[in-house]
Amino acid sequence: MAEPLLQLDGVVAGYGRGDILRGLDLALEDGTVTCLVGPNGAGKSTVLKVLSGLLSARQGRVVFAGDDVTRLSPAQLLGRGIVHVAQDRSLFPLMTVWDNLLMGGHVLSDRALVRRRADAIAERFELVRERRDERAGELSGGQQKLVEIARALMLEPKLILLDEPTMGLDPKARHLIFELVGEVNEEGRTVLLVEQNARAGLAIAHHGAVLDTGRVALTGRGSELLEDPRVAELYLGGAAAA
Amino acid sequence: MHQVIQAVILGLLIGGVYALMASGLTLVFGIMRVINVAQGALVILAAYLSYALFSHAHVDPFLSVLIVTPAMFVLGVLVQIVFVRSLRGDDAEELSLLVTWALALGIEGVLSVIFKTTYRATSPSYADKTLTVFGYQVQFVRLMAFVGSAALLLVLSLLLTRTKFGRAVRATVQNPTAATLLGVDANRVQTLSFGLGVSMAAAAGAVYGVIYPFNPGSHYDLISRLLSIVVLGGLGSLGGAVVAALVMGVTEAVVAVEWQPTWASFSYFIVLIVVLLIRPQGIFGVRERAL
Repeated sequence: MAEPLLQLDGVVAGYGRGDILRGLDLALEDGTVTCLVGPNGAGKSTVLKVLSGLLSARQGRVVFAGDDVTRLSPAQLLGRGIVHVAQDRSLFPLMTVWDNLLMGGHVLSDRALVRRRADAIAERFELVRERRDERAGELSGGQQKLVEIARALMLEPKLILLDEPTMGLDPKARHLIFELVGEVNEEGRTVLLVEQNARAGLAIAHHGAVLDTGRVALTGRGSELLEDPRVAELYLGGAAAA
Repeated sequence: MHQVIQAVILGLLIGGVYALMASGLTLVFGIMRVINVAQGALVILAAYLSYALFSHAHVDPFLSVLIVTPAMFVLGVLVQIVFVRSLRGDDAEELSLLVTWALALGIEGVLSVIFKTTYRATSPSYADKTLTVFGYQVQFVRLMAFVGSAALLLVLSLLLTRTKFGRAVRATVQNPTAATLLGVDANRVQTLSFGLGVSMAAAAGAVYGVIYPFNPGSHYDLISRLLSIVVLGGLGSLGGAVVAALVMGVTEAVVAVEWQPTWASFSYFIVLIVVLLIRPQGIFGVRERAL
């Protein structure tokens, strides 16, 4: 594997006095989709929180594009090109879709650039274009998630962290989200995906990593993990994919 | 009828000033979930500062807003950094009540030492000037206070809706975690907003002394009114605070004229109770955080 875009070495992190990540090692290849799977409490979302600066690593090191970014704040990490689309609905419900989009460029000081990027995203996403003046809280769950991902593109990120983007969505909306993940990746952006529907997540991922009790238990290509009987038995609810 | 309309005018003018005071309280609550019970004491502190500037430097009380407001913005920023920011954990909201109440008592104590407990009033030469508009009497200082308050509320509203800082404030109110993930510095937003909240109290306080006599203990009455305004309007709602303040001003003025002045203050609380029975979240309160 070429020099990884992102590398986590022995990361320990948690909440209160407990550790959730217990010496986690993980590397992401540039321009790929990697899906994290594992049981509840394995630390999948915690990995994303450490990477976006929402949670500080107690030990270990995070290297992004060759630089140590372990102690950087969320704003600094955004500046480096790491954006995090959180698990819960993260639009500002009483702000318009357009204002939500502009918030995606909050760390940019050039207002004209923010406007240009927002216009480009409105051009790309029909939903944003048509509903721009409506309150974000009035959109459906799937539409809100699409706008959240669109907002994440405001910074033209190198790495997008997606935490269970299809949770609670109907099949049609899930399909749209996975399609968008594919598009974003085809643009050359690296995606780290946490997906409750592990089978669907691994199916669209180049690589997968199985987390167990705060460590990476297994890694491999997405398709390989789907066919691995150990993964199927433990995390995919039965027989390996055909 | 003439008397009732006269009372409504008076109530609106007073309500406008209360709206300015309450705007700071609701702004701070919306962003930090901190009920700043020192807001009344800060109003009185500003009234004393304006009074001192008028008495010793002959600065017009309305012009003193330009001095008192920025000075108290700085004070608010310092208070937030020193006393409020350090409050963490699940009981931070409850602790903030104690901390800001201690601040209120501290301000009252200092003012009592310096100015004693005698009632004071800032009385410029035009204090008793009255205008007649379409046959209704309007006291000049109350009109000025209302216009000034409305202008400041408009500025605050524009700041919150039309600027990058305002967008960051609204985002922090509605979803603090998402705002942080987009690079909003929550500490900075909270500190500046607390300063802004105190400066609203300051601007209102600077003219308060022209309308009402005051002493260091006047903040007890003020804070009970301000809290009830914020509750009636809906905690965290700026528009709600404005409407509730006007409702309070008009209710009290009309009851005082049409019934008895002694029932004026109580009448507002009846309105408050009735509204809360129907809408527990207040007039403009929503289940989500909003400004």
